[in-house]
Order: sequence, then C-alpha cells, then structure tokens
Amino acid sequence: MGDLLAPANTFEVLLGNEAIARGALEAGLNVAAAYPGTPSTEIGESLSKIAKKLGIYFEWSANEKVATEVAMGAAWSGLRSLTMMKHVGFNVATDAIFTLSYAGVAGAMVIVSADDPHAHSSQNEQDNRYYSEAVGLPMLEPSNPQEAKDLTKEAFDISDKFKIPVLIRTTTRISHQRAPVKLGEITAGPGKGKFAPKEPDRYLQVGAIARKHHGELLRKLKEIQMDVSPRFYRIEGSTSSDFGILTSGVAYSHAKEAVKLVNLDAKILKLTMTYPLPEKVIGDFLSSVKTVLVVEELDPYLELRAKAIAKDYAPDVEILGKLTGHMPRVGEYTMRTVLEGLSKATGIALPIDFAKIDERSSKILSKVPPRPPVLCPACPHRSAGYALRRAAGRASFMGDIGCYALLFQKPFRVEQVSHAMGSSIGIGNGISLATGGDVVALIGDSTFFHAGIPALINAVHNKRKMVVMIMDNRITAMTGHQPHPGSDFDAMGERAPAIDIEDVVRAIGVDYVKVIDPYNHAEMEKTIREALKRDGVSVIISRRECALLTVGKLRREGRMGKPYVVDPEKCTYCRVCINTFACPAFVDTGSIVEIDPTVCFGCGACTQVCPYDAIVPQEGSLNWREQKIGV
Amino acid sequence: MSVSVKEFNVIVSGVGGQGILFTTNVIARAALKLGLNFAQSEVHGLSQRYGSIRTELRIGKDVSSPLILEGTLDLLISLEPLEGLRQAPYISERTTVVMNDHIIPPVGAYLERFPIPSFEEVLDLMKSLNPKSIITLSAYDLAEKAGDYIAANTVMLGAAEASRALPFPEGVLREALVEVSPARYRDLNLKAFDLGREAVSLPR
Repeated sequence: MGDLLAPANTFEVLLGNEAIARGALEAGLNVAAAYPGTPSTEIGESLSKIAKKLGIYFEWSANEKVATEVAMGAAWSGLRSLTMMKHVGFNVATDAIFTLSYAGVAGAMVIVSADDPHAHSSQNEQDNRYYSEAVGLPMLEPSNPQEAKDLTKEAFDISDKFKIPVLIRTTTRISHQRAPVKLGEITAGPGKGKFAPKEPDRYLQVGAIARKHHGELLRKLKEIQMDVSPRFYRIEGSTSSDFGILTSGVAYSHAKEAVKLVNLDAKILKLTMTYPLPEKVIGDFLSSVKTVLVVEELDPYLELRAKAIAKDYAPDVEILGKLTGHMPRVGEYTMRTVLEGLSKATGIALPIDFAKIDERSSKILSKVPPRPPVLCPACPHRSAGYALRRAAGRASFMGDIGCYALLFQKPFRVEQVSHAMGSSIGIGNGISLATGGDVVALIGDSTFFHAGIPALINAVHNKRKMVVMIMDNRITAMTGHQPHPGSDFDAMGERAPAIDIEDVVRAIGVDYVKVIDPYNHAEMEKTIREALKRDGVSVIISRRECALLTVGKLRREGRMGKPYVVDPEKCTYCRVCINTFACPAFVDTGSIVEIDPTVCFGCGACTQVCPYDAIVPQEGSLNWREQKIGV
Repeated sequence: MSVSVKEFNVIVSGVGGQGILFTTNVIARAALKLGLNFAQSEVHGLSQRYGSIRTELRIGKDVSSPLILEGTLDLLISLEPLEGLRQAPYISERTTVVMNDHIIPPVGAYLERFPIPSFEEVLDLMKSLNPKSIITLSAYDLAEKAGDYIAANTVMLGAAEASRALPFPEGVLREALVEVSPARYRDLNLKAFDLGREAVSLPR
C-alpha cells in the first residue's frame, strides 16, 4: 500500500513491515530471501514489488531455513542480505542460525523475527527474545514503524561493524501497524559478491574450530554489550520519581500513553537493544527507584534479567511484573492491560470503569453470533472437505498449516490435528503406526514443499498406510498469494521452472497418484473411497486455484459471473446446503435458504449439494467446473 | 491547512472481504495530508478470511499506542451491523456510529443454532449504548447505483464524512480517496463516496 520508493525527507504511510523493507533499502540491501508467514509477510511482499526496479534480488524460498541459508551465502560473499520470518518460522531456521553466530558474516546480514502475541494467526505465542540469547546474536526491538525503519538501518551497520548477523524482533502490532514514517536515502542496488573467506576455517564449524569461534562470538557480544547496547535506550517521564517502568517494543507505546492518561509520576526506561542488555544502564535505573513495574508481552524475559542485575546494583528494589501477578503472561497487551497493572502496583484509580464496560458489553455481545474465520465462498477446500466428510468419515484426520486448517470446523470436521508445518504427514506416520487404522493427512501445496516431502518419503520407506491429500490451490494462499516452488513464476515476477508435485510424489515411490478437481464432488468422493481401500501411501492432489485468485482474474477481465440463486419453488427448506456445505453466502430466512449476492462469487459448486436442484444460475452466471475456470 | 487533533479514535469493522482495510487507509491518508500523527492497527493473514474484522486508527499528537482503549471510540464505521455491535466495549457517549444496514449472517451461527438478531434488534442494542449519534444507510444499494456493490465501503466513507465526526476540513477525505484508489476503481469510488455523502446530508 505504502510507496516503498517515496523520496527521502518526506513522510510516507508505511506498515511496520514496509518500514523494515525501506530501512533495508536505505541500508544498501542487495539480497533478501524469506518464506511467507503472518505477521512477517509484507516485508517480502513489498520488496518483491520493487526488487527488479532497484536491481536487488528477492526470492520466496522453499522454507525459512533455506531462506536463511540463501541470505547467509550472500552475506558470506560480502553482500548485504536480509531474511525474515514469523516466530515459528524461526524454529525452522535455527539449525542454521545457531552456528551462523559462530561463523559471522563477510558483508552484513539482518534476520527479522515477527512474533505473534495473542496467536492471531499462529499456533503458539512463543517469545523469540530468548532466541537472541540462545543463538548469541544481538537483538533490536522497535516500538513503532518509524523505529522499525531506523533500527533496520542501524542493524545493518552493527552487523557490518562486528561481522555478525543482527536480529530485529517485531510483534504483530508493530509489523501490522501503519503510521507516517520519515524517510531517508535509498542506497540499495545490485551487488556482485565474492566468496573468499579471510581465514580458511572461517565457515568450517567443527570441534576445535567451533570452540575457537564460540570464544570469539562471546568476545564480540561483550563488546556489543559495552559499546553498542548502551546507545539503544531512552529514559522518559519524571526523572525524580521513585516508581519506574521497564519496558520495550509495543508494550512501551502502550505504557507511555497509559502513564500520561493517569498523570502518573513515573520514570520509564525504554530498552531498544534487548540482547545483549545494557547492564549498567538497567542497574543504575533500578538503583534510582524503589519500585519497578516491568511491562513486556509474553514471557518475563526482561523481568528475570532485571532481577539478576538488581542483585548486584540494587538488591532492595522491588521488581513487579508477571512473576508477582501484576501483569498477564498470556495474550497481547493494550493500554488497558498496562493501566490495570499500574493500578495494582501503585493503587492509582483507573481512569475508566472497565468493570462497568465489561458488564454492559457482555450483555450485548451475548446476543451477537460469533464470526470466526471461515473458508471463503468458492473455496476449493470446502468442496474437498465436503467429499472427505462423506467418503472418509471414520478416518483419523491430520491437518496442517494453511487455510484448509479451517476444515476443523463444523460441518466438515476433517481436521483433528493442526500443529506445525508438514506435521500432518509426519504425525500421520506415527498415528498410522500406532493404530493401524485409516489415516488421512491434508497438506497444502506450499506446505508440502516447505516440510511435507521428508515426511512423505518417511511414510513410503517405512511402509505406512495413509492417504495424503495435497490441497493444491496453486499458490501460498493464506498469507496473501505468494508463489512457491510449484509456481511457474517467481517473486521477481520472472518465469520460473515449476516443480511438478505429481512428479515429486511419483519419484518418491507413490504409485497411486490422482489429480482431481475438487469441484467434481462425485469424482473426488469415489477417489477417496478407492484410496482408503489401498495399502501403502496413496496421494490425491486436489487441484484448483485459490478462489480469490480466480475472482481477481475474472474481475480484471470484466467477466465476473452473476451470483447463483435459490429457486423458491424447488427449495424444501431441508437445509442440507447449510448443514453439509456451509458456504458463507447461504442465508436462512426461516422458511427458505437464499444466497446473499454480496457474498456469492458465482462458482456454482453448491449446485451439486442440493438434493432438489434448487440452486440455479441466473442469466450471466458462470459454472467454474464446467467452463474449466480456475483449473 | 492547519488542524490540531489531540486524540481521535476510529474503528472500521465488518466481515473479511468487505474492503475494511482500504476504507481505513483512506482516512489515514487524509490524516497524513493534514500532517497529523496517527497509528493504525490492522489484520492480515488467516484471521481475515470472512471472519470478524476490525481496523483501529488513532489520530492525534498524544497517540503512541496503536490500540484503542475501551469506551474511547469517536467514530465507528461498520460495513456490517453485527460487526458494529461487536465493538460494544469501545462505544460510549462520544461515539458517532455510521452503520450499513445489510446483515451478513455468520454461517456458523446456523450450525450452532445461535439466533441472528434482525437489523431492528441490532439498532435497539446499539441505542442502548447511548452513542452520540447513529447513522444507518443501505450502502450496498447505493453502491449498486454507483455501478458495483463492491464499492459499499466507499459509500460508507462518504457517509462518514457527511456525519461531520471526523476532525478533517471538508474535501480532504475525498482527495485522499482519489490518491489511494487504484486507477480502474477511481470513478466508481468517487461516485459511491458522493452517493454516501448525499444520503446522509440530504433531509430524509
């Protein structure tokens, strides 16, 4: 949305993620690689749009580990590189990153971890600040989009100076916050690297060499702690107060305003480099106050470290936070969380009667039906889920990470497991082994390339009995339609060799491979039944592009079809359509089912579901299956 | 144009796919044109797939938190009535409510046998929160009139401008809409915006 190439010294509205991308451009970025994942995706999305123009390189890699290695290789060749991932993506990349800190870089490299407190779009609320300490890489934490841009640039400079990758840690409310950002000069451009290690063992981490580099890493980190970390903090508020707030990231932005709102006499220490911590800065702060409230989302990372520092600097200071029950550890923070914490810590009155608001609004909210995310109208996964429910009702259903995870919901309920990338097939291996029963594993096309292939190889080699359905919607859909190795174009918009899923599966040794259009319900059901009867691993590729892509194309070409309608003469109000297919366009009027024309995309898949053929096209409606639209 | 705003909080709510983010981006662009500070929180990823969506926009020199505090909402633009009501904790005497009248029933409610309130019931519940004012309109009908129902979000923007709740001089929002609109939707959006504005300005 924001113009990533807007001129220097102007203000542009940038998403936190776009600000990170801009910061990298201002720092002279040459190469970036990533795997999409909320809330990190838009860093790559925005680079993908301008990479060609600036002559830099960007790719959507097969997974986060590969992306990290691409960026490492570029940085080892003297270039400036960037990789970014969601918090759980970092888990995938850590195998490379733990040793990367020993190896260091020849150019400069920045790694972004976008954490998701509240698990808005994730399977957990892991706190990646621990990783900085565990892998031994410095970490910067922005508290708004402006800082996100500025710190990304700083991170490259630190990386260049100490020849060590630098981590930037954001959270959802930084990555997905849009705000005016003052811009600097873009210096990014093409870079020709040279792989010429200064020492012959620089990139050989084994035994004695690894121990040598470990020691070197610790010396670098000590130097950063003494010379760099003390540059990245701010003390604000009443300097004479004996009540302190220790905070960082978006929690700081909430705390700053909350303190003002209640006119609290408080001194705020805002930390920006959260590893290595500026020990003396924190120690002096702790010894200047009687009580400190630590305001940080998720784990008591700063709180525990403040306690350790207090032992030497201020043994009598009272440190309040999560461990003392003043602040919550689950979910994300808002100003309210901070106000309630401040109230508990200092006894100040809350500026708003939250209890009254809660009481009044809970009465209202009890009458508002919940609206969790559901599969879009025309989504091919709905049809696949419908067929699975009918044909494989008694199987154990393994799900994976992607939109199809929503098939855990009624009326489909064909996902009993949703865990980590590629886990559907992996866990399916174990459940098949343990139970000997029917196992169906659902996995998306992008997820299959990311982490599904080794698990499928494992299943074949170890003679498991399993049906794997690859939900091939031709794109990485959930994160907003990024290409993957199966696409025939890449992140730079160039044509690229598409890796054929069918070929991969056959090469692994699966001899039962069927490619089915999920809109063909009868064919899909028949195939599932057939596959379940077989021994060994059977693969069904449910292939139809993401409906949002199809709709986008139809709209651009001006040939979007008219919505379908229900013939009131034929509708018996049996509600089979709602109870088995549950398209969000269905409206139950109390005497008939209708189709909301503002929601229906006009795909026509639901016509197969009605036992009375009451769902009919209008003049100008399309039939995507019959007209081969989207396949 | 010099405008000073201390704090002005906007929520745009609706169902994923209704163009909520675009709507908020136009207001943010207007704030940028006026040199105002702001912070906008939005939703990306799985959570936007036809589920409840809310973007929050906080404008003003005192703003640093990107999230609105309960009871401090100044303007609610809701593209869908149930999603408007879902913002109950934020609504207070200082809130102007601009609400589309078209209910999109959550399909899960049918499966859970959760009763879906009628628009009249939504309106009564909304009134019980004592907002400063409530403006309702048939945004989809007006958008159809403008040329395509997908412009219902810009109809709502026009209505929001006519409500005079926004702390912007007249005309800035429309200029921002021109800047943010993709070229192929610009005319449609402007037509929809004007129809929304007229629907609220004209005596009814």
